[in-house]
Amino acid sequence: MSAVGHRTPVRPAAPVRVDGAGPRPPSAWDIPPPYSLRSVAVVLLVALAAFFAAQRVEMGRMLALTGEAALAAVGLRDESQVLSGLDKLAGAMFPLQISERTETARIEGFDPGRLPWLSRLEVIETSEPRLDPDTLKMEDVRTRREYLVQPVGYLRHVALKMLETIEIAFWATLLAVVLSAPLAWCSARNYTFNRATYVTARGIVSLLRAVPELISALFLVLAYGFGPIAGVLALALHACGFLGKFYAEDIETADDKPQEALRAIGANKLKIMRFAVLPQVMPQFVAYTLYVLDRNVRMATVVGLVGAGGIGQELKGRYDMYQYGHVGTILVAIFITVFLLDQLAARLRKRLG
Amino acid sequence: MLEAPAPVMHMLAFDTVGMRYADGTQALHAVSLAVPAGQFCVVLGSSGAGKSTLLRMVNGLVTPSSGTVCVAGVRVEPRALRGVRRRIGMIHQQFNLVQRATVATNVLCGALPEVSTAAALAGCFPAAFRRRACELVAQVGLDERHLHRRVRDLSGGQQQRVGIARAFMLDPAVVIADEPVASLDPRTSREVLDLLKRQARERGTTVLCSLHQVDLAREYADRIVALRHGRIVFDGPPAACQPSVLTAVYGQVPVPHAALREAAS
Repeated sequence: MSAVGHRTPVRPAAPVRVDGAGPRPPSAWDIPPPYSLRSVAVVLLVALAAFFAAQRVEMGRMLALTGEAALAAVGLRDESQVLSGLDKLAGAMFPLQISERTETARIEGFDPGRLPWLSRLEVIETSEPRLDPDTLKMEDVRTRREYLVQPVGYLRHVALKMLETIEIAFWATLLAVVLSAPLAWCSARNYTFNRATYVTARGIVSLLRAVPELISALFLVLAYGFGPIAGVLALALHACGFLGKFYAEDIETADDKPQEALRAIGANKLKIMRFAVLPQVMPQFVAYTLYVLDRNVRMATVVGLVGAGGIGQELKGRYDMYQYGHVGTILVAIFITVFLLDQLAARLRKRLG
Repeated sequence: MLEAPAPVMHMLAFDTVGMRYADGTQALHAVSLAVPAGQFCVVLGSSGAGKSTLLRMVNGLVTPSSGTVCVAGVRVEPRALRGVRRRIGMIHQQFNLVQRATVATNVLCGALPEVSTAAALAGCFPAAFRRRACELVAQVGLDERHLHRRVRDLSGGQQQRVGIARAFMLDPAVVIADEPVASLDPRTSREVLDLLKRQARERGTTVLCSLHQVDLAREYADRIVALRHGRIVFDGPPAACQPSVLTAVYGQVPVPHAALREAAS
């Protein structure tokens, strides 16, 4: 089917007016190259700007350090700052922290008769010489400490935190979809109520998109306290701006012909939206929403760094305590989750396309 | 309204209707036309003659810049638009169906004005409409296996059949068909016009239909109205539509038209 728009009455075409006698002969025609002097000038300007910017962001030092590292890696140099740093980090991260041991005295209401799944108790007796204040002699003091050892305890903890992260992302996406629907309606030129609502809705959408998640999370943590609420809200607000813009653009560019057909028989705007617009734009809507969900999972780990719940908060805590084994486990968990999610989203998109 | 509505003489009444678009195009010049109920009236004219403008004034898709349009004695104006539109079905050149939706959904869409908004948003159509949609799909020559197929998988002719079924969903008093067969091949065009005419006959529906094919117009119309540069240049029964009239309508047209004139004579 051809995609010809509605035929509007047109005036008979005026003959092309050419100065002079008539159309020019083909020998006088010309096909200019696809670039002009102006585009060359623009490219040169950009190159100049890049040169000055490179000095400010230390691109030269970056190249030098990377080169050193590459030479050191193949044995042509003795040492490299970058390589030794990476080496130390890798050494601290591996082996990954899987198990967890906690002193039972620190566990509130610990019941030795009911141990958690797969866990065992370990008793460690230590003796250390200590000065007895009464006798003024060194004596061996034996201390007995009981530990609860969970072989996959930390892994389980990370998995739960990861789940919390995904839940934060999921709820943020859900909230964003719900909030952006009315915003999209108002900021679609062909459905908005009047100029004022259009400008207001566009403004809100731009504002929401302009504030990065990390920044709004920083402030929302102050308002709602540490924890997932701040994370959900920060992600939802940004995603709402994103979805509002793209939903609105799709509504505006949807084929008008089915909409006109329903307008012609007197259906109201809600019905037209439901039956003539939504079926057209649904694949794109689903694709955007999946992208936002995907992005929210990644960003949820980042906003956790400022205390907005989830795996990021755990990561920040462990990093600050120099527990790089724990950090390693968390990073691997994040990597696996993002990879799986990517695959899942790609598969869903393919099924829809 | 202060005055009592005049007794319904004509289903459609255009009274000195003029239309000047914002870009300065004068599409219609004081056109007056009355179509009695049940008539199959075909509007001829070259592209840009004002056919679409005339048709789209009936359901208020275009508001005339001067003059009035009445449907069944009710003046078409913004306040009355809702009520007027419910009694008018429309068939489009490009079918104007939702390509990704099924045949069933597209036909049911024709009943949207009579379905409550809540039910419509939930996608629930009353059983009576669902039954009617099934009947109409059968009447336009499609069968049950088409019902749940997406419109984009149908041929052009089948799509226009769906368009006709949709237009008749609410038993309209008037159907306006804006070049319903302009994107169909000659054989399919005949099938679609046959169908449209039969449906209209059975229900006593008034049809205002614009066409490009003079032969089809002569075959199907009860009456032919021809426009040129926004003025009516011919109005009469198909038999009176002679080659001299066609010259008045289309001007001195080169070869294809000459062939047509031979065919007509």
